Amino acid sequence: MERGDGFNRFHKHAKSSSGLSVIQPGDSSNTNNGRNTANSNTMRPPCMVREQDQYMPIANVIRIMRRILPAHAKISDDAKETIQECVSEYISFITGEANERCQREQRKTITAEDVLWAMGKLGFDDYVEPLTVFLGRYRESESERTSLRGEPILKRGIDYGPMMMAPPYGPGFHMGHHHQGIFDAAAAAAAMGGFYRDGSGAAGSSSSQASLTNNFDPFGQFK
Amino acid sequence: MRQAGTYSGILSGGISGRTGPHSLPLARIKKIMKKSGDDVKMISGEAPIVFSKACELFIKELTQRSWMVTMQGKRRTLNKEDVTSAVVATDIFDFLVNLVSEDSGDTVDATPLEMDTFTSSS
Repeated sequence: MERGDGFNRFHKHAKSSSGLSVIQPGDSSNTNNGRNTANSNTMRPPCMVREQDQYMPIANVIRIMRRILPAHAKISDDAKETIQECVSEYISFITGEANERCQREQRKTITAEDVLWAMGKLGFDDYVEPLTVFLGRYRESESERTSLRGEPILKRGIDYGPMMMAPPYGPGFHMGHHHQGIFDAAAAAAAMGGFYRDGSGAAGSSSSQASLTNNFDPFGQFK
Repeated sequence: MRQAGTYSGILSGGISGRTGPHSLPLARIKKIMKKSGDDVKMISGEAPIVFSKACELFIKELTQRSWMVTMQGKRRTLNKEDVTSAVVATDIFDFLVNLVSEDSGDTVDATPLEMDTFTSSS
């Protein structure tokens, strides 16, 4: 990123109001809200604007820093800004490497795996394992979210393998729904009663339904 | 304030497929990724999510290393020079050397730090 471009960028974007703001020294609560703060007390010349939309919001950066630092620690404003810039540089650095790999393999989409690979290659291998765990938990929570909502999981296109579980009712059993949604015990029992009636033809329908529902544990696979 | 560890932060930090209350904004991450090169075409939905956590780890590491310099100077305010020293002393932060020394114009003092506490793989 060329930071020396400040003056040109100021003129180029003079008409747009988004992303430009003049930072006051000591203004640590500056967040990107697209406002142009025209303040005559500015100590920096107007050409030294920082486009906030190319950085992580400084409030978030500060919050993460404070989690690590002891309670009595203070952070200077230029340190906050410097770390904010370093984060963006980090993202660009990793993305560049990941993108090169995609191009070599003639793929158009940068995936999470590409990002993790690039991190390992560029020396951030300490991050790879926790990030892999993080990604796995995220994918699990996504699949739980969709299965509880009753949508077919395969529609989401997540390639961790099919999550459809074999119905516990046995082969040849047909139900109205095919997902793990709200289980309609009455409908299933009636259908199951019909199935068994055809097979054995022994017991009366009501008693066979009762025994089947008693033994039936639709959520057994979740144990 | 409870400090979330690398792993425990996952369970409490609101992983619901969207940005939790303490995550970094995904749209901004995506924007920065796109700006990294003209030829960046498409970005999967999961890549910014991985980055939101990775940037957290990155900020924590850079902050820790900078704070070590602050403490060595017996100070309580972490300033930009501490960040610069930490960058220079850490190999994997080589890509940041130009960025942190851009405005200072001073020669950077490359004193190696005593990093036993924070180095996980040395």
